[in-house]
Amino acid sequence: MNALADRYAAHGVGSIFLYTHEAHPGENYPHLTSMTQKYAHAAALRDVLGVTRPILLDALDGACHRAYGSMPNMTWIFNQAGIPVYKSDWTDHHSVDNALAYFLDVAERRAQRAPARQRLAPFRVERLDYRNQDHAAFYEGLARNGPKAVEEFRAAFR
Amino acid sequence: MADDLLTRYNYDAFTPDKFTPWMNFDQSPALGQAALDFPLWLLAGGETRLSALWSQHTYLVVEFGSFT
Repeated sequence: MNALADRYAAHGVGSIFLYTHEAHPGENYPHLTSMTQKYAHAAALRDVLGVTRPILLDALDGACHRAYGSMPNMTWIFNQAGIPVYKSDWTDHHSVDNALAYFLDVAERRAQRAPARQRLAPFRVERLDYRNQDHAAFYEGLARNGPKAVEEFRAAFR
Repeated sequence: MADDLLTRYNYDAFTPDKFTPWMNFDQSPALGQAALDFPLWLLAGGETRLSALWSQHTYLVVEFGSFT
């Protein structure tokens, strides 16, 4: 997602990482109890996981996250008027790339002069996208949080 | 009540009784409707709003997530 953000930045696309709450709290990164702790965990996103996009924090009660469905790693795309045009219950860079290419093409078609200019009307579409499941990397992340996170995930889906 | 929300949202264990109440994507806002706006805090310092961010770009990609 960092590389995608860099690639689209020159096309008027902004990208942020919005830090919510700990999905898999462990001994090393426990559940949040204060904004001070939330800032420290958010800094680890940058310093440990290498997030290079601007990192923003939601309120401690997750007001924004909860309003948008509170999934652990979802992605939304908003247009400049504040209209959500894409939402996915999981983040996958191929899916986001595909959506951005489409929306930028829409913007280009709208910007054309007559007679090439097209009159475009929005409509809703649903589809399933597919993501790669890297179990090894996922468990490596859980282990980084601490043994508790690994054990609880295994127990939840046993 | 507010403390209860903070505790439930920032759950201390990944157990189904604690995380499944937050899996509400099916009830999330519809596409094509004006988005909800919220205050946000920059890791780099300072406060902003989601609307201040989307208004700066043709499109704004927001990845929600955590360290864990």
